[in-house]
Amino acid sequence: MPNEILSRGVTRRTVLGGMAGVAALSIAGRVSAAAGGEAPALAQLVKDGKLPPLAERLPKKPMVVNPFEKVGTYGGSLRRGLRGSSDHNGILRMVGNQSLVRWNLEFTAVEPNLAERWEVSDDATQFTFHLIEGVRWSDGHPFTADDVVFAIEDCVKNTELYSSTPAQLAVAGKPVTVEKVDDYTVKFTFAAANALYLENLATPLGQHPTLFPKHYCSQFLPKYNPNIEADAKKAGVTSWTELFRSRCGDIEIPSRWGNVDKPTLDPWVVKEPYAGGATRVVMTRNPYFWQVDTEGNQLPYIDEINFGISQDVESLMLNVISGKIDIQERHISVLANKPTLSKNMEKGDYRLLTLVPSASQQCQIYFNITHKDPAMRKMFADKSFRQALSIGINRPELIDIVYFGQSEPYQAGPRPTHPWYNEKYARQFTEFDADKAGAMLDEAGYKKGGDGFRLRPDGQKVFFSIDVIPTLYPDLVDALELVKTHWAQIGIDMKVNTIERALYYTRGDDNAHDAQVWPGPGGLDPMLDPRDFFAFHPQGSRYAIPWTLWYTSNGARGEEPPESQKKRMKLFDEARSTADLDKRGAIMKQIFDIAAEEFETVGLCLAVGGFGIIRNNLRNVPEKEPDSWSWPNPGPALPQQFTFTS
Amino acid sequence: MLVFIAKRLLWMIPSLFAVSFLAFVLIQLPPGDYVTTYIATLAASNEIVDQNTAAQLRERFGLGDPMLVQYFKWIWGILSRGDFGISFEWQQPVSDLIWERMALTLVLALSTLIATWAIALPIGVYSAVRKYSIGDYFFTAFTFFGLAVPSFLLALVLMYVAAVEFGQDVGGLFSPEYENAAWSFAKMGDLFSHLWLPVIILAVSSTASLIRVMRANMLDELPKPYVTTARAKGLSEFRLLMKYPMMIALNPFISTIAWLLPNLISGSVVVAIVLNLPTAAPLLLQALMAQDMYLAGAFVLLICALTLIGSLISDILLALVDPRIRLE
Repeated sequence: MPNEILSRGVTRRTVLGGMAGVAALSIAGRVSAAAGGEAPALAQLVKDGKLPPLAERLPKKPMVVNPFEKVGTYGGSLRRGLRGSSDHNGILRMVGNQSLVRWNLEFTAVEPNLAERWEVSDDATQFTFHLIEGVRWSDGHPFTADDVVFAIEDCVKNTELYSSTPAQLAVAGKPVTVEKVDDYTVKFTFAAANALYLENLATPLGQHPTLFPKHYCSQFLPKYNPNIEADAKKAGVTSWTELFRSRCGDIEIPSRWGNVDKPTLDPWVVKEPYAGGATRVVMTRNPYFWQVDTEGNQLPYIDEINFGISQDVESLMLNVISGKIDIQERHISVLANKPTLSKNMEKGDYRLLTLVPSASQQCQIYFNITHKDPAMRKMFADKSFRQALSIGINRPELIDIVYFGQSEPYQAGPRPTHPWYNEKYARQFTEFDADKAGAMLDEAGYKKGGDGFRLRPDGQKVFFSIDVIPTLYPDLVDALELVKTHWAQIGIDMKVNTIERALYYTRGDDNAHDAQVWPGPGGLDPMLDPRDFFAFHPQGSRYAIPWTLWYTSNGARGEEPPESQKKRMKLFDEARSTADLDKRGAIMKQIFDIAAEEFETVGLCLAVGGFGIIRNNLRNVPEKEPDSWSWPNPGPALPQQFTFTS
Repeated sequence: MLVFIAKRLLWMIPSLFAVSFLAFVLIQLPPGDYVTTYIATLAASNEIVDQNTAAQLRERFGLGDPMLVQYFKWIWGILSRGDFGISFEWQQPVSDLIWERMALTLVLALSTLIATWAIALPIGVYSAVRKYSIGDYFFTAFTFFGLAVPSFLLALVLMYVAAVEFGQDVGGLFSPEYENAAWSFAKMGDLFSHLWLPVIILAVSSTASLIRVMRANMLDELPKPYVTTARAKGLSEFRLLMKYPMMIALNPFISTIAWLLPNLISGSVVVAIVLNLPTAAPLLLQALMAQDMYLAGAFVLLICALTLIGSLISDILLALVDPRIRLE
């Protein structure tokens, strides 16, 4: 089966199957640090006595990164764009993915990162990580098992700081326990099996163990600093937790990039912070970065990253086409920009970067099966009603007009290249047949009224609205407008309800929507976001939010779901605790079979790939990469080995 | 006069309270709160917020409190210790964020004001005195054109031309090397070398309407008997124009100073965003969109304070300039 990303001679299946094997492998190909080089600016600092020599800054056996194309040269400033507000993850994706483990380029297996190897107990409750010896924080302080224990035990498990433990670090309602075995070995113990932990650890939300340097962040905790309340007052904030957050940050908040003093393990460290009102963010190389290339040269190659902050995506586009951005996919990767970007390739001196969506569905329609109005609920819960509506959509026309022919009819489930692909789940009821749809609706009791539109058995006209956020997904508005005309032909009246995004969420949270649309995830990462396969996500599984609440609260809140849902919930919990990948796949396939049978969501077409640009003088960048939050592109492509040719 | 000013200042206090409360309510009106918007923004890039984290954020920001409680906590902070609260988004005190932005906004607003008046006054007087001349028609046509072109479009076109045709750096108010530098004469110079583009763009549309106002006022004054008398007494044409009709015609200019300040801030939002200007407008818009209410509230409060101060200034100036106006 061909891999959508890059096969590089390894099929997805073998890598996935070999997960346990990977765990036992240590880092391949090590070289002595003494042979290596360093950036000229750092060499000068060493000469001036302002920085220890390279050999003292690197681990004895530094992690070796195989450059994507060639060994690079030092220097240059990489320019990228951020948006003015809440765009901190744009920085995270570029530099902040230094977790214990990381994804490989193909998004198929977990590779060593700060942990050079690990062991997993047979019941998947204990994970023992062996850290690379001699790694240092960006201020030169050693990174050891104490830091990991501190980050989890003192910070994340501090209930004043985190009123509940982040979901990744808790299983069966109990938080993980982290113990130090020796200076470079830590043991994570979960209350129950957590077979997915390594994969989760490779996602951005898995960065907690390496986020908080003990020697720096301990000064903001009452346990280590009795005067913390006074310090907080002096800093002008109301409580020590606020001080902690503004100084040490968290995975996903802007203040993570707002403190130039906080030591990190990233290839670049903040020089000009991402703060309110900033017009740019500048990051400069970390002199203690712990990775080298195959010739022993310390990474990163590039001196500096300069994130310009644009308020407006159009001015970002202008910068791109005039060659003022070196690599960018964030914010500009919508299909509508592709003609402009293709046309200006020569002028801007860049090439295009292809993004393979990890999502499954471009536009998933979620009819609210748990609608508050009993009549509407009955209608949406009627499987033949949903099936009729699905075959009443002319997908080829929609794909041609809205997606320039770059997609194919699709319902849900893993993408066609994924080993768990389920043909029935993906393709059923995608063929356009208005007559059959009409007949099915007739049979289900929705007869046509005088004006050509159908009536419910209670005599009311069949009418519902589908919520969509125009500012976020303009293409979904176009798609829905077409669907509206298709459905009008089979006598169904629908309103495309364009609303503001906060209202969209509030309506979903209150279970006040008829139907909503969203791109359906789970194409390449079905285990990480199964929201379309059963009622999993309290905000994302929009066809039955009350069921998700029931699931996530262990039955305390929400509404009890039907048997088929409960079965899938149980199966998923089982899959989550199954370490053996073949067995896990078998369980997931059962989930897909049931989901296909139940047909809860109506999909339009396979998620379309985005794209970006890379300046021609920027090398070592894979020109095709997954587009995903779990694989926070371009981070796992290792920007530290990106390099400029003159 | 002093009594008048003191009275006006006293009246400003309840006005500000009323305005700040209204602003707070308006910011809170849209559905959802900061955390909803925060989750929605991240979801836009398909990024996921840990469910537990979201619940915890709400608790931490006191978003569960009733609105009145939130308002009084906020206003008490401002009154008792000049504390405008913490920006949710940036985890920074609001006062750190607003002052430099407000300063740059005032620089831009005043520069635009001066540019507008410097263009509009002479042209307005000229086209009134030389009514229906070729010059009058020319300026009239030109200003209507300026009025008709939306300023954000003008900004985009100028940026496109500058960036694509001339390879110029566009956007922003500073060159990269000065962006985060401390204030110095060199930085001031850099600021003024970047300021002209937004000033022209912003001045174009307001100039047009001011020229028409000036022209109409002058045309009202010119045929009046006192002008004829002055002319008969042998006053030079220039002195005559400047001394009487011009002063009276200035009345609408001065009385609109109060709106000018807020107008230049709110009217320049789109231009500031397109041109990436580090003024208050983009930050205010961001704060409103993110429902970062303390930050947005502080801006709205300041803009209202500016309006009140502006109207006081225009009343005082009117009393000085227009002999027909008396404060008593």
